[in-house]
Amino acid sequence: MEELIATLKKQIVEQLNLQHIKPEDIGDDQPLFVEGLGLDSIDALELIVLLQQHYGIKLANPSDGPAIFHSVRTFAEYILAHRTK
Amino acid sequence: MLYINGTVCLSPQPTSDTSVFLPEVKEYHSNKIFCIDVDYSKFFDAGSMRRMGRIIKFGVTAGILALKDAGVETPGAISTGTGYGLMDISQKFLNSVIDSEETIVSPTSFIQSTHNTVSSNIALMVGCHAHNNTFAHRGFSFESVITDALLLGKEGFDNILVGAYDEVSDHSYRSMMRMDMLRAEPCSNLKLFSESHCGTIAGEGAAFFVLAKQKSDPTYGTIKACKTFPAPADANDLKRTVLGFLSDNGLSPKEIDIVLSGHCGDAKADRLNNILTHDTFSEQSILAFKHLCGEYMTATSFATWLAAKMMKTQTIPEVLYLENRNREPRNILIYNSLKANHSLMLFANV
Repeated sequence: MEELIATLKKQIVEQLNLQHIKPEDIGDDQPLFVEGLGLDSIDALELIVLLQQHYGIKLANPSDGPAIFHSVRTFAEYILAHRTK
Repeated sequence: MLYINGTVCLSPQPTSDTSVFLPEVKEYHSNKIFCIDVDYSKFFDAGSMRRMGRIIKFGVTAGILALKDAGVETPGAISTGTGYGLMDISQKFLNSVIDSEETIVSPTSFIQSTHNTVSSNIALMVGCHAHNNTFAHRGFSFESVITDALLLGKEGFDNILVGAYDEVSDHSYRSMMRMDMLRAEPCSNLKLFSESHCGTIAGEGAAFFVLAKQKSDPTYGTIKACKTFPAPADANDLKRTVLGFLSDNGLSPKEIDIVLSGHCGDAKADRLNNILTHDTFSEQSILAFKHLCGEYMTATSFATWLAAKMMKTQTIPEVLYLENRNREPRNILIYNSLKANHSLMLFANV
């Protein structure tokens, strides 16, 4: 789990081109959107791409997004439960 | 005719400061030269900037700074031109389509890859809901913008933000190399015209202008007319076209003071420029500009910026001269060519 969280932080910084943020600056339970890391709706699409490209997971129900992408930890938990690669 | 009430150019030269005119000249030793970046974080928040390619940053910044230079918050219309547009970002998007086997692709490079990204970003930033057009007509892109603006002026639009932007991308550089347009070896841009050579240097830049029906105090000068035409059959054909253009605007060659010529340092490409400037404009000062900005599809926007600055300051930087015949910058003619795309633009000071 911890290894996946560290990998995810690196992938988020790279995929979203977060130029002024280091992976270690992102808290495991820090909200990714709005008041936390400040991501927006386009970033949500980028995270869906990341999910599919790196872990083979297709998000069947977009309304699940807010819960899955709440923090790096919830993101990692969802990947562990559903990953196909 | 429209007044040029504001302008800013971002180029491989120190041109971004509106309070000075070419305070120094940068020498490069390469066959491609790039824009000098400004501090873009002053213009965009971190969230927006991380999604922007380099050309978007320097294109939008030039547009915003030109409005500031003119003291205009919201333009009456926006018209921009680009030859290759945002080719690098487009390629990134298309490569991701291939890599993902046409399944799921990153949205950012898609939404930032269209030719009108720059003009639409400017419109969003300044709240302009009026006419917004982007021309992608190869070597006629900027000239199409000027023609559009002159027509818009006649229709009642005012404070029209016009501009052009192009970048040296992997694609544009490779294309120019394949067409034998570039020097095979690195060379000094300041010695581009010193010897007879094959090829020129690739360049890039963004220049924006606020064109208005009334002059501001001070204004830069006026843009009177613009004409595009296909490659002339020979030097006589070119001369007829140029004389016809001047006549249409009530001028003879003698009344032109400065010719800003699109000499690029390629002996073959410069042949018609040499004949025209020697035969038809033997009493005028002949200036070049592509040794400062490089060759690109909207390089005439850099020449237009030079014309505007010369008219306002009534000075001519020494580095521009091909022939100095001690003429003051009153009536200025730009003649440019890029392959089959030839154009003329006419300016007059006030």
